[in-house]
This record gives sequence, structure tokens and C-alpha cells, in this order.
Amino acid sequence: MAAMTKKLRPASSWRRKLFMASFLLPTFVLFSVFTIYPLLRGLYLSFFDWSGGSETMSFIGMDNYKELFTDPIIPTAIANDYFLIFWKVILILLFAVFFAVALTRLKLKEYGFYRVVFFLPNIISVVVIGVLWSFIYNPSLGFLNAFLSLFTDTPVTTNWLGSAGSAIWSLLPPSVWAGIGFYMLLIIASILAIPSSLYEAASIDGAGEWKQFTTITMPLIWEQFKTSVIHITITTLNGSFIIVKLMTEGGPDNQTQVLGYYLYQMGFKQFHMSYGATIGVLILILSLLTTLILQRILHRETIEM
Amino acid sequence: MKSKLRKKVTGGLALSLVLLALSGCGGNSANNNNQASESPSPSSSAAATEAPSGEAKISGDFEIQYFVGGYGDAWWKEMIGEFKAMYPDLNIKESAGSQINEQMKPRWIQGDPPDVVYIDGAGSNETQMVQDDQLMDITDWVKDAQNVDGENLVSNLIAPPQDYNGKNYTIPLVFGSWGTFYDAKLFEDKGWTVPTDWDSFLATSEKIKAEGINPYIHTGKYPYYIVGGLLNSGFVSENGDNAQILKDQEAAKENSFNNDAVRKTLEKVVEMRDKGLIDNASFGMNHTDSQMLFLQHKDAMIPNGLWLENEMSKDTPEGFKFGFIPSVMQNAGGKYVAIPYTSNIAIAKKAKNPEAAKAFIEFIFTKKAAVRWAELTGALMNVKADLETSSASDVVKTAMNYFNGSDTIVAPVFKLNADLEQAQNDATIALLQGTITADEWIDRMEKAAAKVRG
Repeated sequence: MAAMTKKLRPASSWRRKLFMASFLLPTFVLFSVFTIYPLLRGLYLSFFDWSGGSETMSFIGMDNYKELFTDPIIPTAIANDYFLIFWKVILILLFAVFFAVALTRLKLKEYGFYRVVFFLPNIISVVVIGVLWSFIYNPSLGFLNAFLSLFTDTPVTTNWLGSAGSAIWSLLPPSVWAGIGFYMLLIIASILAIPSSLYEAASIDGAGEWKQFTTITMPLIWEQFKTSVIHITITTLNGSFIIVKLMTEGGPDNQTQVLGYYLYQMGFKQFHMSYGATIGVLILILSLLTTLILQRILHRETIEM
Repeated sequence: MKSKLRKKVTGGLALSLVLLALSGCGGNSANNNNQASESPSPSSSAAATEAPSGEAKISGDFEIQYFVGGYGDAWWKEMIGEFKAMYPDLNIKESAGSQINEQMKPRWIQGDPPDVVYIDGAGSNETQMVQDDQLMDITDWVKDAQNVDGENLVSNLIAPPQDYNGKNYTIPLVFGSWGTFYDAKLFEDKGWTVPTDWDSFLATSEKIKAEGINPYIHTGKYPYYIVGGLLNSGFVSENGDNAQILKDQEAAKENSFNNDAVRKTLEKVVEMRDKGLIDNASFGMNHTDSQMLFLQHKDAMIPNGLWLENEMSKDTPEGFKFGFIPSVMQNAGGKYVAIPYTSNIAIAKKAKNPEAAKAFIEFIFTKKAAVRWAELTGALMNVKADLETSSASDVVKTAMNYFNGSDTIVAPVFKLNADLEQAQNDATIALLQGTITADEWIDRMEKAAAKVRG
């Protein structure tokens, strides 16, 4: 018996390894081809001068990175990116948590209906959202000005997407509106996982809804909340490109420029593909740094239920 | 039992590897098969009877890449069909579509380009292609080239092949001009005078404004519309009608932006801005939206290109009449300045069948083809042809009369470097917003030009 197990072990461990490899290897290969390779390729390109169309490219060392520091548009783009992150995190999570708590704790009859309504923007393509909101903002034919004009004597002709003061603010409502539903579902899921006995005990002890929210709900959904903050941050840094491309193309005069769109503009419209790759590296570094910092700031002791 | 499991596992592994390999292959081959379609067999019997010109050694594979946009592909299909009839031994491959520039890009980078390329649409830029050394130097060939009708090819052109430091790489195929469009019907009804110079432009604009209509709208999201339709003509007018200033700007020469001609032009723009003649809705608005406001009589004038009438034909209300003036920035008594735009055709430097490519270009640059172009696209081909009897649009015919008249200067074809163009777009919008001054505009452009010079 003992001899048998001894004999079996190497074979079974080989089998086990093969079994694991059959899952890990394809994943790893795909990950390497579609994530690691483009990442390294981007990094490699950033040391060259390449238009994106020619057969040859010349090595220029750190010149693209030096250029990053002298380019006046880069600070604007970074500022705009963090402006969007700041307000998106605050507004999306404010609404998402509010709706999630309202739908789960207040035991609304129309729970299912609201859940679908709030999630609806998430299943609409971002392209549709961008075009839709461009129509809403249209200064002479748009819904927003027509609506505001109901309350004023003279027609409102504010150019929301075209004025220096309002352009970047105008990108917020569509982004926030499109984001609430998803994070609301995440938070609903984690609220539903909280044992109702905790709430019952709390109310017996005389804790009101607000007290229950701050001492039971928030601490117990904190992990989910933290994940949401970081996810919004990363997706904004990488994905605000879409809404900018659709609504303003970074204009007027770079007032809504973000790194993602600037990368595209440099790479594909101004024919500096390698400089675009350098901006990509910058986005990667900023994403990593921001995530690390947020991890530190948002860190709490895990509460075991 | 043991071997059974092992079989399953290895089988699964093999399967996943095969799948992986397949997906890899798919990615590769997709790059190389760009919507290529064999050319249709020639349908026109008239073309088939045409005698092949002399030695018919034009044979083998021949590939042409063309962007399909506002002009459609009817003209291309017709020309390629007739060309095929003339050279039956030729195996013509068309790589065409609205996304063709992106689709063909990997092949250009790999050094496997088509033979002939029509450069138009998003993602294409002939100046960049020349810089990237992708196009064939045709200087020596083009100056003596004859079209199939035996006429000198270049002397037939409205705009000559673009000059890159004394060399030619492209031939303009489509010719058009920027200018100011006005709502002709509205002008007639209200009795407004059509501007002939800057002062009358301001006077008319004030009258329009007094009627509660916005005098002027532009495409703020794409500022090159107002640059092409307003600023550039001003630069030439204020430069004593000398269009060399635009070529200097194209070459990013020092002080090509920092001079009196530019300063005076910008002052005029500022005057227009401060008098409130520009519709505030312009900012951030795309071309379709701004053109819709123009068609709805909410704005009386718009800087645009000759494609406007065609582009908006589906949305043009009944009875709307387009009016066209090449420029409004000239001082009293000054000449009109037409700022041209072109879309070019070129032979790839690494063309595999350059003989067929040259034959094709000789084949399409004829007066007959130009008339067909005007009829099929409603726009102008870059060949001097009599269009009066053709079905080209009225605006195009009006424009043609301006170009042929002695009161109009047609500036040479030029295209700013992509970086300069972007800087100019940004600076112009900022100037119109009032966030920068004319001097800051000039300063920005000189800096951008210095950077381009390197």
C-alpha cells in the first residue's frame, strides 16, 4: 500500500500539473499576446521617432519623454483627467450608494423596475450616449437650452460644449449618467450580502436609518466601495477618450483635452505614433501611481461578519 | 483510468493550441485581405472598341486603392471598367471603401503597397506620405506625360502637381475651392447686397443682424473651415494679392505667420468677433449641425467648400438657393482670392506595376473623364473641361466662372503640416473665443512653425 502511494505520487502530481497547465497555458499565451506584447511594444516605440506610416523608424532615446515635459498641452490634459476622475468618483458613488441603499433598505415595491431603469444607460453604446448628449447640448436646437428658456424671458443660448468655462463641466453629466447603474448594482449586491439580523439588532438597540447606514452598511460594503473608486479612476484615465472624441475632440482649444484623446490625436491625426506611445506610457504610470495612492488612502481593516 | 485522463487532458491542450493558432492566423490574414474585389468585367461596349494605344505591354497584376466618401465610387467603377477593356491582360484589384486608409496602413508599413493610391478621407495626408517616403518621385515623368487622347497631361490641369522642394509626387485629381456661401434666396427677399469686399461684408452683416438673423456661422469643432474660407484668403489679400505667403506657411518658414498681412487679417477677424457678427452657436459645433442652421435660414453666411451643396442635398429645403463668393476679406477694389483644396492621386514608391500605374493616370486625366466626374459626383475634377453643358451643380459652375475671370486670384494648392494645422485650428478658435489676442495667435504659430523646422 505504502509502496503504491509512493509510486503513484509522481504520476499524479505530473497529471495535476498537466491539468493546471491546460488551463493556465492558453490564458497565459493569450495574455502575453494581447496584453504584455502591446505593452512592451508601446514602451519600445516610445524610444523612437516614428510617424506611424513609414517603413523605417529612428531611435531617439529619451527625446519623446523630454518632449512630454515641455509640451504645454500635457498639463492641461492631466488636469482635465483628474478633474473628471474627481467629480466622477464623487458623483457616481454618491448617486450609486444612494440609489442602492434606497432600493434595498427602503424595500420599495418597484425595486425591479428601478434597478432596470438605472442600469439602462449601461447597455446603451457610449457612442449613442455621446451623440444623444451632443444633441441635448446643441446651443440653438438642443433640449437643454429649450428647457431653460421656459424659465427666462429671453431664449437661453449658452454654448455648453463650446465655451471656455463650461466645456469640461458639460462632459460630466453624460459620463456620470452612464456610470451610475453599474456601480449601483455592485453595491446592491454587497448590501444584500449583509445579514439582516445585524439591521434587526441595530434597530432593537434604537439605531435609526442613518446610524445603521454609517455603522453597518458603509463598513460592510467598504471593500466594494473601494473597488468602485479605483475602477472609476482607471476607466476614466483610460476611457475618457471615447466621450471626448464623440463630443468635443478635445476642443475648443484643448479645453477638454484628456490624455487618452491626446494620444489618439498625436498618433493618428498629427502622425507622431511614437509620441502617442509615450503618452500611453505616461497614462500607465499615472494609473499605477493613482491606484497605489488610492489603495493607501482607502485602506481599512477588513471587518469579518 | 490514468491514461484515459491523460488523453483527455492532452486532447484539451491540443485543442486549445489549435484554437490559439487559428485565432493568430485570422489576425494575420485579415491584414492582407482588405476588401479587395476583382474589378467587374467591362460593361461599356463603347470603351471596348477603343484601340489600345500602341504597344500593349501593360499586363500583370495592378492594384488601386481609393477612398470612397462623398464622391461615391461610380466614377471609379466606370473608369476602371473602361481601363480593363483597354488592357484585357491586366488583372485589376480594387482596394476601396470608406475605411480603406486604415485597412491598407499595415501594408504600406510593411512595404507592400498598392500601385496607385487616391489620397482622400480620414487617416490620409499626402504631405505625410511624402515625408514617409511612400510615394514615387514622378517629376521627370509627369512633365512630359500625355493622356490617352494625346494631350499634355499637366497643361490640362487646373491646379498643377504639388511642389515638394522641386519634386512632384502627387497629381491633384479633385479640385475645389473654399469660400463664403450665402443664403441667396434670403438675400434676394430681404434686398441685402452680396458682399464684394470687407467693408460691404461688414455692412451687410450689420443689416442681417438688425433683422434678428445671425450673419455668420462656422464649424467651430473643425476650425479649418473658417481658416480655409476666411483667414487664408485674408492673408493673401493683405499680402498684396501675393499667395506666396501660403506656400511659406506650408514650408513653416520663419515669420511666415509673424507679419503685417497676418496681423491685419487677424484684426479683421477680431473686429468681426467684437461686433458680434459670428453666431455664438458656432463653437463646438460640427459641420452638419452648422450647415443645418444655415439651411434653416438661422444664419445667413457660412465658410465652406464647394462640396457643400452635394453634401446637404438630402436636407436642403425646397426653394433654398446657395450663393457663393470666393472671399470676403479683400479691401475695397481688391480681387477675390480663391483658396483651393485638392484630393490627390499618386503612385506608390514600391509599386509592383508602375507601367500600369502610369497608364492608368494617363487614362483618367482626360476632358471626357472630367465631365463624367462632374456628372457623377457633382464636384470638379482637376482638368480644364467645359462644364456649362454638363449636369454639374450651379454652385460649381459659378465657382468655375470666378476661377476663369480676371477678378479672382486662384492661390496655389498648399497644405500645412499636420502639427501646424492643429496649432492653427486651436489658436483660431481661441482667438474667436477671445481667450487669446491676435499677437498671441501669431506667437503660437511662430512657435509651432519653429518646432516643425526642428
